[in-house]
Amino acid sequence: MQAPAPSAELAPQVMPAAGGRLGRWRKSHSLSGVALVLALLGLWEISARLGWADSSNWPPVTAVLAALAEGIASGELPRLLASTLMRAAAGYLIGCGCGVAAGLLLGTSRWAYYILKPLIEVFRPIPAPAIVPPLILFLGVDNVLKIFVVALACFFPVVLNTLAGVVGVDEVLLQTGRTFRAKRWRVLRDIILPASLPMIAAGMRTATGIALVVTVIAEMVAGSAGLGYYIVQMQYALRPEAMYAAVICLAATGYLVNRAVVMLEAWWIPWLGK
Amino acid sequence: MLLPPPSAVAAELRELVVGGEVLNPLSHTVYLFLVGYGVASVLGIGLGLWMGCSAFADGLLEPLVELLRPIPKSALVPALFLFLGIGMATMVTIVAFAAVFPILINTYQGVRGIDPVLLETARTFRCSRWRTVRSVILPAAMPAILTGMKVSLSLGIVLAILAEMLAGLNGLGFVILDSQRAFQTRQMYAWIVILAVFGAALSLLFDKVEQRAVPWRGQ
Amino acid sequence: MKSLRYFRLAFGMLAALAAGSLGAVPSRAELTTLRVSIIPINDVTPLFSAIKQGYFAEEGIAIDTSPSAGGATGIPGLVAGSFDIVYGNVVSMLLAAQQGIDIRVVAPGTKIATVENDTSAIVVRADSGIKSGKDLEGKTVGVNTRNNVIWLYARAWIKATGGDPDKVTYKEIPHPQMEDALRQKQIDAGYMVIPYVALATAKPDFKEIGHPYSEVQLGVDVGQYLTTSKFLAEKPELATKFVRALRRGIEWYNANRGKPELLEIVSGFTRIKVDLLKQIEMAPSPLAVDPPQIEKTMQLMIEHKLLRSPVEIKPLIAQQAL
Repeated sequence: MQAPAPSAELAPQVMPAAGGRLGRWRKSHSLSGVALVLALLGLWEISARLGWADSSNWPPVTAVLAALAEGIASGELPRLLASTLMRAAAGYLIGCGCGVAAGLLLGTSRWAYYILKPLIEVFRPIPAPAIVPPLILFLGVDNVLKIFVVALACFFPVVLNTLAGVVGVDEVLLQTGRTFRAKRWRVLRDIILPASLPMIAAGMRTATGIALVVTVIAEMVAGSAGLGYYIVQMQYALRPEAMYAAVICLAATGYLVNRAVVMLEAWWIPWLGK
Repeated sequence: MLLPPPSAVAAELRELVVGGEVLNPLSHTVYLFLVGYGVASVLGIGLGLWMGCSAFADGLLEPLVELLRPIPKSALVPALFLFLGIGMATMVTIVAFAAVFPILINTYQGVRGIDPVLLETARTFRCSRWRTVRSVILPAAMPAILTGMKVSLSLGIVLAILAEMLAGLNGLGFVILDSQRAFQTRQMYAWIVILAVFGAALSLLFDKVEQRAVPWRGQ
Repeated sequence: MKSLRYFRLAFGMLAALAAGSLGAVPSRAELTTLRVSIIPINDVTPLFSAIKQGYFAEEGIAIDTSPSAGGATGIPGLVAGSFDIVYGNVVSMLLAAQQGIDIRVVAPGTKIATVENDTSAIVVRADSGIKSGKDLEGKTVGVNTRNNVIWLYARAWIKATGGDPDKVTYKEIPHPQMEDALRQKQIDAGYMVIPYVALATAKPDFKEIGHPYSEVQLGVDVGQYLTTSKFLAEKPELATKFVRALRRGIEWYNANRGKPELLEIVSGFTRIKVDLLKQIEMAPSPLAVDPPQIEKTMQLMIEHKLLRSPVEIKPLIAQQAL
């Protein structure tokens, strides 16, 4: 979530040396954040050991970490993670692509707005678990279903943010385009798109968080593959430490993916945060 | 059989509305949503502003926020059941926990994206921190905040339904699940339509409020 | 997906050709794949036993098991054609039938034939003083899902022990969380199944007060393997072969309960550790479906307002299941 320091982005096309980037990363991530996370983990451990929550379903952090190590070593967690990520990525790309296209359309065309926006608003509140059983009829229970559900979930924030970005483009810029008698397509590509990029980026960032979570939920509901199913399975198998180990895997992956997106964003849209 | 004709669904729908059966679950969902969304908004805007303005807060909270975000709420349900029981507290937590993130991120982005000139101007006028936040930062970040709140609106509804399915005793999510289990597809679709209408109405309401709050946003 | 199935078949053919092996057991290329949706509970151990012992392969069938934790996607998946066969409980099957869904019983699953076989139980806190359905009036009972066989028989038990089932609240709690919910007083009683029930009742804090299945309807046919009439019409020999192999698996399971080899199989698909499984008593599985028992369940469903009107049982049972 760090905005890059202005001086670093004068030449956005040139990727700074790895050392320089890493040094800046280290400086901008104060240890306090990491300390907070560790403190909370410590609290978890203590609560489990001292039996604050009287249950076998609340394992101590050390047991969870042991299960995590075991899962990684056996290759099971990486394998499941890979399959979940594949579905999430596919759904994300499709959802974002459609979202940006739809957002641009809605933002630039009156009739598209009046026809499509109500449709979007109608389908938005329907949650994954409610929509899965009807969708199974058309898409089966395999990857196609799950990817579709993820794409649908990613579509909404992206289309909304894109729309907001297009609508919020500075009038002056549009006037300039008109003065130069620029064609509609050119205006879209050279003025609207770049100007809306921060909003689109925010939308895609929200969608990144959604993609992984919805993939896991779809796997929990429709079953049989991926980390989502593994989490439910471990719950029923009375192995809560394995379940939380998978949850940690997910959290860590989500964190790393987000970091990557932020870095991509910083490289691509340097004027953000100026 | 799993895809009933729209006329059958419409008939079922009419029955639910006219018979008044729709009120009880709907009001439960509305209540849950408002509480969860309210908590998420306050938390999201507050934290987003803080993290946007203070490098210390940013460094402190960012890893935690980014680590918590990708956790699916269904995975947290066992832990929530343990500590908060099976009821309103758990459900509100599920809704708030999910809805807070888009608001937080958008608020943060909004604050960071403020024209530095505005901030300099405030400093020139020797504005107090609080004044700066209230008169400069908040209005300037408002479009972004509202976008975040808009995304969280639908997210909040989705999660209220999910929470009702996982931990509830009433509400739209609960009845949708019940009718699913009993293969009463006509009823299920009727309830889904009600849900969609509710969500659309909420969105429309939000749009109206947004227009009032941020009139300078070009349309 | 269908295309995936054909791809696998083609790949299998190539693999078989490459291996070049021919023998008494049909080579991979000749195996027909059947997609079976299961819930990873002990009820389906006979299926996995049959797979492990090669009974299905000998009939020329390869079973592709699709686990689904809640079973919610089973019957929709069956209707959509994603699954050929689904393991489901009798109440869900009857509800589906009433709604006009094309469903048939093709093979037996779980039956509570004797009192000793009834491993599931209503569990309460030892100090709560609750002894019967009457004591549960005004209180909360945990069931894993509503509108299923567990919920129905919990209600029936409450009625049979003097209580009014409508005066009781039923909270949906997943099986793994039921013990916690009970301990934390979020529910006053829980209808628990193995292995969870064995673990809870081993602790002094809890005790069993009743066994709904055997007390309400001894011999109840709790779960069955389901398919569509379309499948039965188009592939009757395949259905017969499936049931034949499954029956051998059932016999093997009944004979080997408690033995390490079987525990390994159960641990394999439930992911429960073998040590935990050793503490659990496994009931034998039936070799045939029991239509009169299903009839009784149907009557019970009508009594508890789950069904609007009677459902004809006989046409629902495939000849292979008997």
